[in-house]
Formats: sequence, C-alpha cells, structure tokens
Amino acid sequence: MASITRASVSMPSLSTSVNQSQRRISGMNSVSFPVSGRSMIPSLRLQRGLQVCCACQAKQETVDKVVAIVKKQLALPADAAVNGESKFAALGADSLDTVEIVMGLEEEFDITVEEESAQSITTVQEAADMIEKLVEK
Amino acid sequence: HRRLPAVIPTPPVSASPFPNPKSQYCCLSRNFSAALTPLLPVQLPSRMETHLWYVVPDEVKSAPLLSKYMELLPQSERDHVLGFRGDQLQKSALLARTLVRTTIARYQVDGHLDPRSLRFKRNIHGKPEVEWETKDGFCPPPLQFNISHTSSLVACGVTMNSLIGIDVEEKRRRTKNNILAFAKRYFTAHEVEHLNAIPDSELQQQEFIKLWTLKEAYVKALGKGFSSSPFNTFTIRVNTAAQESFCASSGIAVETLDSPQNLTNNWQFALLELMGSHYVAICLERQETGGAGKAFPIKLTARKTIPSVEDELVSGTNAVVTIGGSVTQF
Repeated sequence: MASITRASVSMPSLSTSVNQSQRRISGMNSVSFPVSGRSMIPSLRLQRGLQVCCACQAKQETVDKVVAIVKKQLALPADAAVNGESKFAALGADSLDTVEIVMGLEEEFDITVEEESAQSITTVQEAADMIEKLVEK
Repeated sequence: HRRLPAVIPTPPVSASPFPNPKSQYCCLSRNFSAALTPLLPVQLPSRMETHLWYVVPDEVKSAPLLSKYMELLPQSERDHVLGFRGDQLQKSALLARTLVRTTIARYQVDGHLDPRSLRFKRNIHGKPEVEWETKDGFCPPPLQFNISHTSSLVACGVTMNSLIGIDVEEKRRRTKNNILAFAKRYFTAHEVEHLNAIPDSELQQQEFIKLWTLKEAYVKALGKGFSSSPFNTFTIRVNTAAQESFCASSGIAVETLDSPQNLTNNWQFALLELMGSHYVAICLERQETGGAGKAFPIKLTARKTIPSVEDELVSGTNAVVTIGGSVTQF
C-alpha cells in the first residue's frame, strides 16, 4: 500500500493494480493518509477518489486519458497544467484539433461519437462525461 | 512571458520591445499618442465584391500597439482573449477581434464608426453578426463578415449581402491521424477516393488541408453550426477535366447528400494560396448567375493590414494566388 501511494507509476498500470486490489484499498477507508499540504500526485488523487466513491474512480481515470490525448494532439509538454475544467479552445485547439481529439477518444475507448455530440464538448470534463455515457451503452 | 495587460494608458518602460529606453519614449511620443491613429475609411464592397483582410501576427511586434488594441475591446472580449493559454494564442485572439472591429469600423456605415462602439451578437446557431444600433431612419447595411485564424494568420472576409464563410490553414499543417483513416471517418466516399488517388504523401496532405478548409468555409457560410451539416453529409467536388487535384481553372462545387444529383448551385468557392504559406478557402452565397446558370467569377480585393498602422493591397500579386474556383482579383 505504501508502494502504491509513494511510488510514481504511470496511470495505466496504476489503474490496473487498483482494479485488481480494489477490495483491499476500500478497506483502507478508515486510515487517514497524510495528504494535506502535499502536492497531489496522481496516485494519491486516484486513491482519494476511491475512498470517496467507487463510481468516481472511473471518471478520474477517464479524465486522465482524455488529458493525455489532448496533450498529444496539441503537442503540449507533459507537465502542462490540464485538468477537467480546461477548455480545448483555450489550450489552442482549432476545429481540426477538436475533431482529431474526438477521433483519438473513439479509438481509445472504442466508441462512436456523433457529430452533434462532438460539437458540444468544449472541455476535458465534458469529453470524459460523454465517454462515460457512451461506454455505459 | 508576459500576459497582455487588460488596460494600459501609458505602457511602462519594461513592457517595451525597444532596447533603449530613451529611444522607446521618443518613438512612443512620435507614433503613439493617447489613442491609436484614427482609422482610414474604406469603401464598402459593391454587391458583387468580396474583401479579404488579413494580419500576420509575427509582423505585429509592438507591445504598446497590442495594448492599444486591447483597449478597443469591451471587457468581455478582453477576458476572452486573456483566457487563452500563452502569449501566442492570446495575440492571435486579440488580433482577430481587433481586425474585425477596425475593418468594419472603416467602412463607416452610418457616417462615423468607432471600433469600440461596435456590438456583436450571435445568431441562434452561434454565428457572429454585427448588432447595429437601431436609430431613426437608419437602415442597417447588409454587411456580412466571417473571421478565421491560426497562430500565424488572422483573416476576415467581408461582403455586402452575400453570406460568407472563410477558413485559413497553414499549408504544412499535419494531422496526427492518418489522412485516409481520418477522411474515411469524417469525409464522404467521393472525397476519400479523391485523396486516395494521390500517390505522393506530401501532395495528399496538402489536398486534405484544401478540402478541410473548403468544407469549413461552407459550414461557416451556412451559419447553422457544424452539427447541422456534418462533414460526411456534403461533398466538395472539384470540376477538372484531367487533373486529379486542384488547379487554377478548376471549378469547385458542393453537393449535399440529400440531393445527390443536383450540385447545390447556391454556393460558390474560392481557394487561395496566401504568401506561399497558407490556404484560404472562401465560400459565398451566389447572388446572380450569368446565362445558363453559370456564375460570375468572385471579384476579390485582398489587403494585408496592421490595424491602424498600414494597409497593403495585395490582390493580383504573388502574395495571393488563386488555386481553385473562379476568381478575378482587383
């Protein structure tokens, strides 16, 4: 457990290990993690999401994947501050970038996004929410 | 990197791009008084004309000038500009707003127009329009405009009466995805075939960008939003005898899927290569036709500008090359 919180692991492998050890982690609800005042490293954030609500775990993971696809499309540095509230346009995405991002999301999540829906997503969170809805189907 | 200041009555010395503080003050007092140089008026386009105005952001380097531009904008637009991430994006967003305000002001509709006083609204589909003041006896002119910008070019097209859509893109713009995979997903079968038939990958990339800008320009001209005209519901057809790709004499037409046998005659297109570096696609609502449904060529006047500083008429020069559609440059 200490290794999950402290080690810097890439997101995909962390989410895999979290899925497998979900039961073990939910048992940690009562333990207080020394998170106040520390920087929010991704693994800790995911852990807290799990503690609060199991359904939130998928959302954070989805958001992180969207962020990765957006950063790749817009050639942003890996440490660029991009989160759920980030607007594609404000990050420099034009209409071609936005369509490419949607195409990337379709491939990553194995979904099909109708153009009407694609037009309505303007932020990372909106994209993640749309993906969640489509994946549920 | 500095963020552009929202309001700067007199720019501080440190904000100046001039290396020598003394000369910076000299230049400032010589070139920039309390306000921007009054705008030079320009004649409205005639009913058959299209005006194309463009700014090259890299050529606008003066921080004091950019500050003055910022002062032309209402607070909401300043906030919008500052919402972009980074100096370069903020600059092109600022120049886009400045270009549209100063250009429309220069046409001096209603006698005298201050670029600051222009109001804009969006139609129900989100397309920006001028909201003219309703004064007694004032009948707003049917002025139509459309803007497009990349980080390296900001452009505005203006007509009297014709709905207009424009889109600009760098020639060397590369897609992250494979072109044919992208086209199969978002374009029509005919367009995929057209791209597929081009063996050279560089040329194929350029053809893709040309098609993209033409499709964007069409949807922007329609003004009904992208969701009302998904890209795979209309085909851009290039009317050439033998060539596979665009050439100067090629006619460009749009065909909508719901009426496949009838080329939609309401719209005409121009495709330009600007400064050898950018494609500019223009889509116009057809106003009149010549005999037998044939359209008059688009009469184009193109001007490169730095708002409130200088204009350069560039139509008919190497800077503006027609590569598709029927265009006469003035």
